[in-house]
Formats: sequence, structure tokens, C-alpha cells
Amino acid sequence: MTLVLPTAAPRRKANFTAYELTVFGVVAALFLLALIGPMIAPADIYTSNMLETLFPPSAEHWLGTDDQGRDIFWRLVAGSRLSLFATVLVVILYSIIGMIVATLATVGPRWVDELLMRITDIGLSLPGLVVSLGIATVLGPSLQSGIIALALTGWPMTARILRTTMRRTMEQPFVEGARILGVSRTRLMLKHVLPNSLDVLIVKWAGDISFTMLILAGLSFIGVGAQPPSPEWGAMISGARGYMSIAWWAVAAPGAAIVINAVAFALLADILQVRRDPSLQA
Amino acid sequence: MLQIDHISKSFPAGRGRRTMVLDDIVLNVDEGQSVGLVGESGSGKSTIIRCALGLTRPDSGRVSYSGIDVQRSSRFDTLRFRRDVQLVFQDPYASLNPRMTVEELVGEGLLVHKLETTAAGRRARVVEMLAMVGLGEEALARYPRSFSGGQRQRIAIARAVVIRPKLLICDEPVSALDVSVQAQVINLLQDMQKQLSLGILFVAHDLAVVRHLCTTVAVLERGRIVEHGTREQVFDTPQHAYTRALLKAVPIPDPVVGRARRAERQAAP
Amino acid sequence: MGVDTILTDGIVPAQLRQRPEALLQVDQLSIDIATRDANVRLVDNVSFGIGRGERVALVGESGSGKSVTAQALMRLNSRVKLSGRVQFDGKDLLSLSNSQMAAMRGQRMGMVFQDPMSSLDPLMTIGDQVAETLRIRGVSKREARQRALDVLDELKVERAAERLDSFPHEFSGGMRQRVVLAMALVGEPDLLIADEPTTALDVRVQERVLDLLDEISRRRSLAVLLITHDLGIVAGFADRVMVMYSGRIVEENEATLLFAEPQHPYTRGLLEAVPRADITVDRLRSIAGAPPAPGARPSGCTFHPRCDHAMAMCSSVEPGETITPLGARVRCHLYGAG
Repeated sequence: MTLVLPTAAPRRKANFTAYELTVFGVVAALFLLALIGPMIAPADIYTSNMLETLFPPSAEHWLGTDDQGRDIFWRLVAGSRLSLFATVLVVILYSIIGMIVATLATVGPRWVDELLMRITDIGLSLPGLVVSLGIATVLGPSLQSGIIALALTGWPMTARILRTTMRRTMEQPFVEGARILGVSRTRLMLKHVLPNSLDVLIVKWAGDISFTMLILAGLSFIGVGAQPPSPEWGAMISGARGYMSIAWWAVAAPGAAIVINAVAFALLADILQVRRDPSLQA
Repeated sequence: MLQIDHISKSFPAGRGRRTMVLDDIVLNVDEGQSVGLVGESGSGKSTIIRCALGLTRPDSGRVSYSGIDVQRSSRFDTLRFRRDVQLVFQDPYASLNPRMTVEELVGEGLLVHKLETTAAGRRARVVEMLAMVGLGEEALARYPRSFSGGQRQRIAIARAVVIRPKLLICDEPVSALDVSVQAQVINLLQDMQKQLSLGILFVAHDLAVVRHLCTTVAVLERGRIVEHGTREQVFDTPQHAYTRALLKAVPIPDPVVGRARRAERQAAP
Repeated sequence: MGVDTILTDGIVPAQLRQRPEALLQVDQLSIDIATRDANVRLVDNVSFGIGRGERVALVGESGSGKSVTAQALMRLNSRVKLSGRVQFDGKDLLSLSNSQMAAMRGQRMGMVFQDPMSSLDPLMTIGDQVAETLRIRGVSKREARQRALDVLDELKVERAAERLDSFPHEFSGGMRQRVVLAMALVGEPDLLIADEPTTALDVRVQERVLDLLDEISRRRSLAVLLITHDLGIVAGFADRVMVMYSGRIVEENEATLLFAEPQHPYTRGLLEAVPRADITVDRLRSIAGAPPAPGARPSGCTFHPRCDHAMAMCSSVEPGETITPLGARVRCHLYGAG
């Protein structure tokens, strides 16, 4: 007897609202800008032009120029790759650390779980910004140091959330079924438990990018992250704060760029959250 | 083949007391035999399943498979045990990994037990197995979510049976299905049992389904087997009061029987 | 159909039989729900009546629309759009205001669901919960409590007086279902809608609850609409059975006749597909396929892809209602032509 399958159940068509599409569009545009920004920016944004220092925004220099006479708009465009990619890199790095910790805690014996979770607790209770400041200072101020510092301090929340979800997934009948089938521990984790637990992180990632971008800019601003003349946005603000009173645009423009990015990713996180759990819809 | 030998199990119930969940259970399943285990909720059915699969350790007694203690077996024996004894779950929605295709799901046992080492070999076996459970080749690349409950249960059965186990433990395999679909799955299990001389331990609350599928039946009341015999003995000449009470309470789809029973009950004090 | 058919069959068709005075009359009820993508018809042109004191069962599988129908009668689901007419004791329920409907629910119509825990407030005593509908109506505290006690006694809750002050978690599943029944019955309704009331219970408890319901229904001449997927419990309980498939009532008849002489291929299939605890059969006859989802109904007769008797017209023409010589109201082309 061969059963006639009903015509493939229609895959739920994702009908997006105009608002959601706008947010997706903005996020995609930000990524695109980060990708091509450095290629389209003119070369002179790294060189001084003392004849054009501190011009206010005009038709020629849309966002004005800085104290070296460099066009701020094009510096923002060029720096978007640094800012966004560094942020994404931080989130990827600490997510990987978090996944490893969570997986070991889930699969390992009780004492491993206890140990890792206590370490996680300690990590969570320390003020992340202060610790990363310390790490970045020790490593020597640079964008790389900022990235490493944030990756090393960012993972505990991911580890904790993921471990809780993985524990819950472990109790699912299909995981039990895989064990009964004789699946090895490694395969059990990689094929059954982890893929069915990552959902919870997707929402977190968007929020994390927003948050990490602010922190990373903060590190640069304080002076332990990217260093001037790098067009990294935090570093731009940092470099411009000395003459903020006479050239507000040199601080406001990169500040606005950070805020736009952070808000776009925060809104994306919000949309994903609602999509995952429609009951949250207002 | 599977011997459940005087196992008992209790769980902590707070304030230092323990609740007896299983009390001296003895139950055997021989090759090709279909044994039904009937019990109401809280009777200890799932604990027996967990003990039989070696997932829970009984406090006393032992569970052995082909003479080997499932709790104390070597790695090699465990792997053989995992190949020979499979489980079909109650809920076909939760028992299949939603992120694996039907081909991966059904082929996983072949891969894990190295029964088919090439992808092409696995696919051929999977297709053959799917045909046995009444699904076509077009199912291979699809995910569980695009199937109905009955179809998922077929996939679950295919996944369990493809590695040719000797014993299939079924935990309420049809109770979550629509009435019109239950018969399909019951018939499929019956066919599998006959064609592959599969031993079946069928655990359910539904006496009618057990009567239909099993030639030997055990009745579980609060962790104790109160009646154990052939289908005819248990259903036609039940000895224990509990079995009789259960049998009298099973709804029969016949108004004449139903009304007669009610009248009888109302006449009794 | 002539009078001679009636005489030769010796059975009086439903429409000529003495029917109890109609309490509930549902005419061409359709229920639609607007999803993100489309408008989905959950229930399609359903008509039926329930007489005073009559016990009627509505049997169906998941997606058949049986529970949605029950909720519609009580107007419990505000997300669906109802059309057609639902008359209860002469009043058109669909045109009542929300507050009038709320009063109907408390006083004239009661409802119980499958999961008793979801209908109970875990932080409120049993006595207060049972008495609540009466208190809302302005019955004094003392009297409400007394009447709650009476109805719990009627439902044979042992030591009811002591247990009025206990909380839901102190009760077993069967006892909770009795408490929920008490909540529905304390206002002395004329109609009780019971949606899978015993599905979560063990067979012996199920039997007990159904017996109680049977007794009370007779004593109070309370009409009961029992919604279930289980033909077994219907057989011992209902006077009349309606079988629902994919949003339509495909067959309706007196219980005895429906079980003895099922007319619609679906009803017949269902009866043959269910194993019985009292007889051994070699093999069950199964119905191929699965019930369709409400959004993906086949054209014509919605059962045709699964039907052994399907003819060419079944896939294109929706069968109308026919009354067979046995008094069954059937929607099937096998009976339509003659």
C-alpha cells in the first residue's frame, strides 16, 4: 500500500509587514555599506588637507570635515566596515565560546557542569566593560585588543542561556530516541541537541550586535580600542571630542551612525523575538 | 529474549519517604512474540519502559537481553543492545528531530551502526523501508513538519525498524493519532511483526488496541502486575478484580452493550 | 419518500418521529477565521437541533470543527466570524449583546472542557469557584455556598462539605472534572456542552463521570451536547449522534441506528477502524489517508480522496443532505441520486 501524500503542506508563507520589511531593508543596507564602503570611499580620507579643516556640513562635504580636513561622511562610510564587522566578529567569537561551554556543560558529568556554570556565574557578575577595559589595556590599545577583550567577556550570557535550552532539548523525546538508536555523544550534541537549541540565540544575536557596537565604540572612545586616525566610529568620536565645542558635527555624525546601527539591530531583534513567539505581539 | 526479572523501583516522595513505583515486576518477551502491557496513568508503565531500555536503573532485580544484563554490559554489548531493541514513542510530533530530513532520520541507524557505509547504499535501504511503511520516495528530502501525525508515526516506525531490531517497544504509539488513522498504524505494526518476526512489547492504556495486537497480556496496577496470561485468558476469563473492572469500563462502540452495562451498574449498589 | 417505505421498514423516519421540544436550533452555521494569509472556513453550513433533555453527541476527528462549533454556540471565541442562525429557547444567540450572552452562559448554558485544570483557578477554593456564577447573579453568600454543596453532593463528591474549602491541586483528575461539572451545573442550565470531558481520564473514572452526567441529565432533564472523538463513549450515552468530518455534519441519526446501520462511508469506516475490547478480529479495516486540514479541503465531498465508494461526481459536486429510509440525515452521493 502506498499512501498518496497530500500535496506538500504549504510552507508557511512569511508575510512581512511594511514596518518589518523596512527594518530588514535598513539592516541589509547597513551590511551592504559595510561591505562596499571602503571601496567607494575616496583615498584622501586618510590624508590631511589643512586647507579644509573643520568645515561645517555643506554641499561639498555633506557632514563637514574634521580637524585634519578629512571628509567626515566618507570617513563614516569607510569606517562602517571596521565598526560593523568588528562587532559581528566579537559576537561570533563569544558565541562560539558560549556554545563550547554550554555543550561541555550539557554533555559532561555533573561536576563539569557545576564548574563551568560557576565560572559563568563569575563572568556574569563581573562588570564586563571594566574587565574588557583591563584586558584591552594589558594587550595594548588597538582594535584587535578591543575585539579580543569583548570576546573574552561576552560569552557567559550566551553560555548560560544556551545551556538552559540545551538541557531542555535533551529531555525531548527525539533526543532520547537518538540515544536509544545508539547515536554517539558527539553526534547527539552536534546533530540533535545543538541545532535544536540555537533558535534562542538568533534573537539574542541581533540584540548583541546592537549592544556590542556601543561597547566597542565606547572602548575606542576611552582610548583602548581602535586608535585615531582609524575611521572606526568610536575612535572618530574620541578624536573629535577635543574640538567638540567648535565643530559639533565631527562628534555628532559618528555618534548618529552608531545610534542608527544600534537601533536598527535592536529593532531587528525585537521583530525576530515576536516572530518566534507571536504572543508577544502588542 | 528480553527478561525483566523481579525489578522494583521507588522514587523519593519528600520527607524521607519513598513511593514504590514498580514492585517485583516479572515480564518476558520472546522472539517474534507480541506482549501487551496494560495500565492506567501512574501505573508505572513508563518506568518499566525506561528500565527495559536501560535508561533507568531498577533498585533491585535485573533486566537482561539475550542473557546480558543491560545495566552492566560492555560497550560492545551496549551497541548491540541499541541495535536490537528499539522504541516507538507516543507523540509523533516530538519524537522526530525537526531539523532532519526523512532520509537522514530513517538512515541514521544505518549510519550509526555502520550497516550501510555509503550514502547511496543507505538511500536504497531507506527507500525500501519507506515503501514498507507506505511512504513514497518523494518523502526523502522532506522534513517531519510537512507530514501528518499518522505519517510521522510511520516515519518513526521506519526509523526504528530499518536496522532490523529484534524487539520493538511501543509506548502508546496510536493514542495521539486521529481515530481514522490509528488503524493504519496498528495494521502496519501487525505487518511488521509478521514479516520480520519482530518481538513487540506494546505498552498502552487502551485495552482494545492491546487485545487486537498482542497474544500475551499483562495488566499493571500501581506498579504491580496483577494479571498475566494469554489474550484469551485475560480478556475472556479475567481472574483479578482490577482486570474485570477495567474490562467493564472500556467503552464499546455498541449502544446496546453500553446501555445494558449502565443498567447493570445502576442496579448494583 | 412515501409512507409505504416507512411501513415496510418498520422504522419511523426522524422527521416524522415525536421529537422533544427544540431547545437549541442551529441553522446554516458557518465559522470562518481570518489567518495571516487567507480566510479559512472551519465549519461549513452546519444545521442541527437539540431538544429539551436530549443527549446528543457530536463526533469528529481533529480539524473536523467539532470544538469550534461548541465554542461558537457559547460565543467563546471572539477571533472567528460566525454566520447563520443559532436559536436557543427562541432567542437568537448571535444577535445578543456580549453582556446578555454572558448571562446566558452563566444561567442557561454550561460548558466543560477536556482539561479541568485549565478551567479552575488554582488560588481559589472549590466552594468559591462553584458558587461564583451564583454570586455574580446576586445570590447571597450563604445560599450560594449551600447550592454549591448541593450540586457537589449530586455529583457524589464525597465529604463535599469539608472539601468546599480545599484547593484544586488537592483533587484527583476525576474529582477536578466533577468540580468543573459542578461549576457548569450549579446555575441549573438547560443545556450543557461537554467538549471531550473525559478524554484525559482513565477508563474507570471516565465511566463514572459519564454515569453521573447521565443521571443528572435524566433527573434535571438537562440537554447535553457531548463533543468527542471516541465513538465508544458515545454509544452508551447519547440518544442521537452527529458525525462531523472536515467542517460538515456528514451523518446524523438515532444512536442505535447509527451504530447498527451506519450510512455514510466515513461513519462506516470509523466504526470498522476502531478495535474492540470485547471481540478479537484478525485485521482492522483502515481508512486511507488522513483528515484534511481546514485550509486544504478537497473539492466536492471532502471525504472523497479517502472514500472506497467515490464516484466521478464526488470530487466535483458537494453532496446535499438526504434522509435515508432508516432516518439518517446523510451527506453522500450514494444516497442522493435515489
